[in-house]
Amino acid sequence: MAVVGQRVLISGMGGEIGSRVASLLENEPWVESLEGIDGDPPRRRLRRAVYHRIVPGDHDRIVDVVTRFDPHVLIHLAVWEPHSRANPDRARLLTDDAATSILGAAAECRSLESIVVRSGIEIYGRSRGSVTRPDESARIDPTSGFGKMLAGIESTATTIGERIGVAVGALRFAPVIGPHVPSPLGRYLRMSAVPFSALADPPFAVVQEIDVAAAFVAAARLRLAEPINVVAPGAITAFHAIRRGRRLPVPLLGPDWAIARGLSYLAGAPIPDHVLELMHRGRLADGGRAMEVLGVAPTNTTSEVIDKLYSWPSVVHTPARVAVA
Amino acid sequence: MDRLADVVSLPARRAASTLAAGARSTFDNVVDSSLHMVDDWGRDPDFVARVWSMSRLRWNVAVNGHRRLPKRAGALIVVSARRFALAPVFAALSIGGAVGRPVRFVGRPDIAPIGPVMQRLGGLLPRADEIAGALRAGQLVVMGADATMHPRAVGHIDHRLVGAAVAAGAKVFPAATASAPFLRSARVEIGSEVRADRGRRGPLAELELADALESAIQRLLDELGGPVTGTPLDWLPLSGMGAG
Repeated sequence: MAVVGQRVLISGMGGEIGSRVASLLENEPWVESLEGIDGDPPRRRLRRAVYHRIVPGDHDRIVDVVTRFDPHVLIHLAVWEPHSRANPDRARLLTDDAATSILGAAAECRSLESIVVRSGIEIYGRSRGSVTRPDESARIDPTSGFGKMLAGIESTATTIGERIGVAVGALRFAPVIGPHVPSPLGRYLRMSAVPFSALADPPFAVVQEIDVAAAFVAAARLRLAEPINVVAPGAITAFHAIRRGRRLPVPLLGPDWAIARGLSYLAGAPIPDHVLELMHRGRLADGGRAMEVLGVAPTNTTSEVIDKLYSWPSVVHTPARVAVA
Repeated sequence: MDRLADVVSLPARRAASTLAAGARSTFDNVVDSSLHMVDDWGRDPDFVARVWSMSRLRWNVAVNGHRRLPKRAGALIVVSARRFALAPVFAALSIGGAVGRPVRFVGRPDIAPIGPVMQRLGGLLPRADEIAGALRAGQLVVMGADATMHPRAVGHIDHRLVGAAVAAGAKVFPAATASAPFLRSARVEIGSEVRADRGRRGPLAELELADALESAIQRLLDELGGPVTGTPLDWLPLSGMGAG
């Protein structure tokens, strides 16, 4: 049980996951005060949390806000998945800036006891012959740009943690999907016609954003000090997902993927390299330790999350209350 | 009179009804609506059911000793294998049919399109950490000894893969497989659990367990005996009982 009167700082509070984590933490009795930093305002109404609008590169302001707040727990969510809200180069730059500024500033806080960082199962990589369902003890060998970004964040946080003597935990998520989460995989699967690898069509797992938020709250409360995989039970292949969503499957064999990527980009669903890797090599992980360590585990199965992905409305049309013309 | 006609039936009629029943079952499975999902390791239960139905058109597999296997916990079953016979695959399908729970097999390649197809059938990569992960998660895993040309000989057993069971604390069972190339009958005989020496603290435990498994499987193969091809060729000293 966490000690009461704790100060919690959330980097990336403006995003869907950050807002949801903040919303859950507001109801936690052990949280005395809650502050957050992001370039965009939170996506839901928060009653107790204090939000600071600061862009990741504004190093001085970040250091000022973080050191003044002096948190006990830092939840680092400021990670930009390539082609979610920024192109891969911009996403890498923003993620690096945020990691350097926020983790660096947190290291100056005397009260800091725990750092929990957002990571992903992309960190294990999918090189040929690599284990199909890696657990937390598997070798980190990222083979995509996003995987390398996540490995960099974990490495930075671990180095800082060892230097100042605080616990560092990493939550390694399967691809996160939710109604308002800017997921390149979700966007891709929701296209009318969806290309998939006819020769491989490997299985992958996902996780819903509400389960992600619950895992962060548990990790912060328990002062997580190790990496934990958070993966929804079950798996699905791209073809199965396409069939469940009643989309048109487009089987591809290899070289035609270049054309498919271009068309997908024009259709508004660019495919980053880690999603392309998922379509060719799959993405699974052993999430068995989440319940054992955190006391919570994803409740929505991969198939359920995929079904929900197709049931979420694209655009909500609200008719005008008063006709003006 | 109708009853008499049912009892006294010609072999041709029996064969035709068996084939018809098999074809109907296969057709039902193929046209049945798929659930469009795979399990945590990528095994597709619909695909497995279809392959199992089709394989029963060729093989009539009898599984014995499956009641020795744990009901829920993980266990490693090491089977004898003949070259080109895909013994671990068919043993996994047969044992899965007998115990009514998913059974995985070791030995899928990581190259498309063969690897993904075998993954749908429940294939695991031949890596100790992959096998240990499945055993820890309470899965039944079938692993083949090295394939041999001789149907009554057991090949070498990789102690590193068997070590996965030691690491995971799972039970290990030997099993012998036998099939007649020109007949439909095939058999999987699962023996009693083979235990690692608790006195060993290092890798010798795995080596000795692999050796004990080889001996146990050889005993099971010797006990199986019987015809190999179902033809008079079995009486020649080239294979089966006449071979040295």
